[in-house]
Amino acid sequence: MHRVFLLTVIGLLLLCFSCPLLSQESSGSEVKWNGYLQTDNRLRLKGDNDFSWQEYRLDLKTEVKPVEKAKFYSEVWLRSLGFPTVQNSADLVDKNIVSPLNLDFREAYVDLYGFLFNNLDIRIGRQRIAWGTADKLNPTDNLNPDDLEDIWDFGRRLGSDGLKASYYLKDYTFSLIYIPIFTPAVLPRGDWASALLPSMELPAGLTLRNLTDAITMPKNNPKESSISGVKISKNSFGYDFSFSYVYGRDDLPLTRKITFTPTITPGEIDIASELIYPRMNIAGIDIAGAIANVGVWAEAGVFFPEKIMMTTDLSALGMGIQEPVALDDKPYVKYVLGADYTFKNGVYINGQYLHGFIHERGEDNLEDYLMFGMDWKFFDEKLKIIPVGGGIEIKDFKDIENNYALILSPEITYCPVDNAEITLGTRFIDGKNTTTFGKLKDNDEMYFKMKYSF
Amino acid sequence: MKKIILFCLMNVMVFAWQVWAQEKQFTGSQILEKVDDVVNAPRDQELKIKLILIDKDNKEKIRELQMLQKDSDKRLAKFLSPADHKGIGTLSLPYDIMYLYLPAFKKVRRIASHVKNTKFAGTDFTYEDMEAKRYSEKWIPELLKRDENHYILQLKPKKDVKTDYSKLIMWVRADNFYPTRIEHYDRAGKLYKVMTREKIEKVGEYWISKESEMEDLKAKHKTKMIIVDAKFDSKLSDEIFTERYLSR
Repeated sequence: MHRVFLLTVIGLLLLCFSCPLLSQESSGSEVKWNGYLQTDNRLRLKGDNDFSWQEYRLDLKTEVKPVEKAKFYSEVWLRSLGFPTVQNSADLVDKNIVSPLNLDFREAYVDLYGFLFNNLDIRIGRQRIAWGTADKLNPTDNLNPDDLEDIWDFGRRLGSDGLKASYYLKDYTFSLIYIPIFTPAVLPRGDWASALLPSMELPAGLTLRNLTDAITMPKNNPKESSISGVKISKNSFGYDFSFSYVYGRDDLPLTRKITFTPTITPGEIDIASELIYPRMNIAGIDIAGAIANVGVWAEAGVFFPEKIMMTTDLSALGMGIQEPVALDDKPYVKYVLGADYTFKNGVYINGQYLHGFIHERGEDNLEDYLMFGMDWKFFDEKLKIIPVGGGIEIKDFKDIENNYALILSPEITYCPVDNAEITLGTRFIDGKNTTTFGKLKDNDEMYFKMKYSF
Repeated sequence: MKKIILFCLMNVMVFAWQVWAQEKQFTGSQILEKVDDVVNAPRDQELKIKLILIDKDNKEKIRELQMLQKDSDKRLAKFLSPADHKGIGTLSLPYDIMYLYLPAFKKVRRIASHVKNTKFAGTDFTYEDMEAKRYSEKWIPELLKRDENHYILQLKPKKDVKTDYSKLIMWVRADNFYPTRIEHYDRAGKLYKVMTREKIEKVGEYWISKESEMEDLKAKHKTKMIIVDAKFDSKLSDEIFTERYLSR
């Protein structure tokens, strides 16, 4: 009750102080529009050369700055995503089946600068709060849920509805975040979803008929659902440091209970599983700077998970109930070390060593990844090639031969005129089935993208 | 009559000697100091700049940006166009600290000084060329000669200065000490780029070049920089040159 009262007071205060700001000099405001159109088609290189992805995205951004101390911003994606899923003649009258459309409300927020105090800025609404200094793979970026819809778009997150307050004091920046309602991650489409979820082995002699699952979402109250975070940033000795703490939840589901039920066919079973989103406290640190002209960064998140037991109910099979640990409360660390350099001829190289991918939890389950990239611009930057780009996954350094995966993704981009880009690229995956990416070694693909900004 | 002629002749000689002596007084270092005083005279500047990129076939691309500058080592630049660059911002601070804001990622990113020798937004100006540092902080000048209207200086980098150029040859207007042409020589000593400054006008109490051009002789590419709008001494606060303002 006390929290509800506090939230109400904060809300009223925001309203009181923001209205006069917005009403000032409103006659001078103008709405600015911009955005882009992007097409993305992907074709599998093995099997029947199926198209694996089709997306036509219209991005629209709006910005209004009615007064010096306030700004409204929004970004919306209108997309034709996926393929027609017509299965019978009745489906032909449904446009969403014939030509699937998708509206993605990415961000919409109001900024109030110098709110209450000169040094305080606040942002209210749906927003992306990007924490961390590493390149796209950030163990300290835990406020917005992962948007893994397109697994190749590393670092993409959903916007979160919440409040961000930033206070600036000399060289220090203090950020405080409050997100009232927890939103889970969006999982990848198709084969990639299974790659990120743990595989389940059946007891010997059993075959699976049906697999069902149910997800228990946190209750919609501040205690269960809310996420909050605090960060302090400073530049010292030529390096940027920040320390952060997030009281949140793992945005990928974890299996808490599995029930095995025999069917009428001997040796055949149905499995029903229950999944939850465990509470997670994360302490983070990141550093960015330079060593002898080379850009360097390091970022680490110490995860303090809630202990979750997994109930495996085999009682219907006469094997009783087992309760192993699904997630131990022992803290674990995910980290990234990276560096980049631009040569005088325009060649840019970037490398990152990552311990612990997005979906990995628990000290014993964290794998190692080496991500690398190189790009080179030619002909007055009309042509950009990425001859080398990709990553290496190592699951076990003691037996690399049987525990590795390799992704290579060369790409060429041509910019015929300002604002237009045409990209052609491929993704080759090789490795062992024991690894996350190795499971998808048959998913080599070629892609063609076009982007026009306006 | 003879006396008068002798008197006049002596006066002319004395005057000529004074002028010569006065000019003789300026060493290369003094001229460069005066260049710095003229070029960096405003305490702060708010500029709207149009960059025209011209390739060897004379095809043009246009970039527009807003640039705020204070002292010789604080600069904030934001792209206004083209659309795929709009909102991208850079912040340069003392001690080679630089930040890049990419609106697509909602992130301010620290960038290391390796970018200094790379092209600024595809133009023929490198980040180093765009620096607002005083020439005398980086270069050792030598007065090569003086022609009718210019001093011609050779600038060589000071020890421990990191630069992409082995030397600069600078033409400085004798009347107002504004540099009008700067030849940039690469590390092998070959002429690499030429910067020319035109439309040198007095705005308020300061001299500025409203149009300058950097030509890359190797790439046969040039960039025109046109100052569309300029405001000086607006008392820009130090707070503007922070990540807070860069990401707005």
